[in-house]
Amino acid sequence: MLRSFGWQDLEALARGALWTIALCATSGVIGTLLGMVLGLAATSPSRIARWLATAYVYFIRGIPLLIIVFFAYFGIPLIFPELSLPAFATAVIALTVFTAAYMAEIFRGSINAVPKGQWEAAEALGLGYFKKLRYVVLPQAMRIVVPPAIGFLIALIKDSSLVTVIGFVELTHAGTIISNLTANPILTYSVVAVFYLVICYGVARLGRWYEQRSSADRKTITTEETPAALELEGV
Amino acid sequence: MTFYYGDLAPYFGQMLAALWTSIYISIIAMVVGSALGVLFYLGKASSSAPLSRVSSGYIGLFRNTPLLVQLYLIYFGLPELGVNLDPTWAGIVALTLNNAAYTAEIYRAGFESVPHGLIEAGQALGMRRAVLFRHVIFMPATRNVFPALTNQFILLFLASSIASIIGLPELMNSILNINNKTYLTFEVLSVGGILYFLTSAVLALGSRLAESMFFSWGVKRHA
Amino acid sequence: MIIVKDLHKKYGAHEVLRGIDYRVEEQEVVCLIGPSGSGKSTFLRCLNGLETITSGEVSVNGHLVNDRKTDINTVRREVGMVFQHFNLFPHLRVIDNVMLAPTKVAGIGKEQARAKALELLDKVGLKDKTHAYPANLSGGQQQRVAIARALAMDPVVMLFDEPTSALDPEIVGEVLSVMQDLAREGMTMVVVTHEMGFAREVADRAVFMDGGVIVEQGDPAQVFGDPQHERTRNFLSKVL
Repeated sequence: MLRSFGWQDLEALARGALWTIALCATSGVIGTLLGMVLGLAATSPSRIARWLATAYVYFIRGIPLLIIVFFAYFGIPLIFPELSLPAFATAVIALTVFTAAYMAEIFRGSINAVPKGQWEAAEALGLGYFKKLRYVVLPQAMRIVVPPAIGFLIALIKDSSLVTVIGFVELTHAGTIISNLTANPILTYSVVAVFYLVICYGVARLGRWYEQRSSADRKTITTEETPAALELEGV
Repeated sequence: MTFYYGDLAPYFGQMLAALWTSIYISIIAMVVGSALGVLFYLGKASSSAPLSRVSSGYIGLFRNTPLLVQLYLIYFGLPELGVNLDPTWAGIVALTLNNAAYTAEIYRAGFESVPHGLIEAGQALGMRRAVLFRHVIFMPATRNVFPALTNQFILLFLASSIASIIGLPELMNSILNINNKTYLTFEVLSVGGILYFLTSAVLALGSRLAESMFFSWGVKRHA
Repeated sequence: MIIVKDLHKKYGAHEVLRGIDYRVEEQEVVCLIGPSGSGKSTFLRCLNGLETITSGEVSVNGHLVNDRKTDINTVRREVGMVFQHFNLFPHLRVIDNVMLAPTKVAGIGKEQARAKALELLDKVGLKDKTHAYPANLSGGQQQRVAIARALAMDPVVMLFDEPTSALDPEIVGEVLSVMQDLAREGMTMVVVTHEMGFAREVADRAVFMDGGVIVEQGDPAQVFGDPQHERTRNFLSKVL
């Protein structure tokens, strides 16, 4: 049924945008928590922990997100045949696996960026490994983590478009549906692009506000100064 | 659950050929895209306000929208304007335009990281802007961003899988085709994943090698 | 050689140079001393256009630096500058560092430039380091290359901006002795420095600057030995 692009289409796209935000917020939070654990493992004294964490991170970062998405989509029903997951859950799982690996790298870099002298001073005070982390290293690492984490979050928002292939109706998929209904791909996808622009700039804005707020009283590494190793330029 | 990797064997050659497609479209997009990227960076940094704004706008647009949407606009949108690209060309164009925006920003970081003192030394010797750029700024800037550039290439290679959605016959597309034919889903996905992984690992090693070969002058080896 | 009339330099609202009048004659060695923030480096950098002049007149070897119509690169070809942090080009070998400007700016042929470069590097005592990269040289060696690089353009005057401030104390001497040789050969030099010993021995004139003005200047023996102004006395008592 062909018709021209109208307000209900704009509304449908907006709903898709909200789903994109929901998807990224959920995977972002869970993935970041997992990433933090992995980052700690990657910098731990235990060789096994380091090896496992590094292997996971290197592997996930070395394959396309689409492979992860399809693995989740086809693989989960294969392993758990009784389980019938909604598309949202599958998408979240795929994006969380993805996020955890990239956030692990960010955390690893941030923990390593805390000057060795801090570890030594804590050691000299008699603090054990976990106490060192909790009271001395992690608080400082957290400040370094924020700029690249925001950068990754923006990449995640764009990468979330790939879950369209499993039929989850986020912003891009909504765009495809509307584009087919209205036979107007240019207008439809341009509006989709504008939605993404708004969301991404919004997140970048939030990030800058957070940086300014936290650097008001102490020195923080800003987005411009983020060491190249922590910069992530996802497509 | 049993695996039938053996049944995948007849399709392996096809997968390798498709992998080559992924690689060569990435190379084209990287080379052309980087050249465009330097131009966009120069545009953004230029003193002409309209040129600077157009360049910034381009960079902002392509860096803050998904590659998939850019691809859809090129593959589905351009025909409305009379430009009909087949999936391969549409994919290459999208990857190139996308890459240009990212390399422009990478070069910006690189050029801005050249110590100001070097520029002053060149100026004190009477160098004009063109000479300064070519002989004093370009090499140190490139050295600074070389890791970011090679990383960008690897990301580009992985992103080429997105073109499978419009039917470009690269590796991801081949994986999906084989899956449709044989239903050996787990097998083909895992083999495909490993192919992607091995290629990106080789690329990463290669770039570290290149860095030590071409940019050894940055390393302090004072006796 | 260098004539400065009523030079003023402002950074926004902050006036760094408040009316400098000075003349540097040919073959003179002038040392600029003074506390940080006195404007001495800024003054030096105005002489070859690395800092723009807010008002006043600066003439170097007959060229009006403050005149917008003057091609600043013509001036810079005749003025050599040595920086506190050397600023050698890291991607070029020592010999190429020295040859770059003569070949690309002055248009001198490669063979001629190379011969001159080797001669200069020998003169500063680095003839066995011609193919090294700057990263493999010590600070003193890098600074000597920087001096050779500036000399390669056959300048009529050499400007030195705290040339030894970034060097380890035991290396300072090797750079100062090169500068002393240059002075003895008759090069016109303006040197911003904290090395009072050098100023006393080598300079023809010492200039004490503070707060953007020249407070006192004259024969080094007199400026150091019997300073007339209170501020000069204050400064010298802190550093000597």
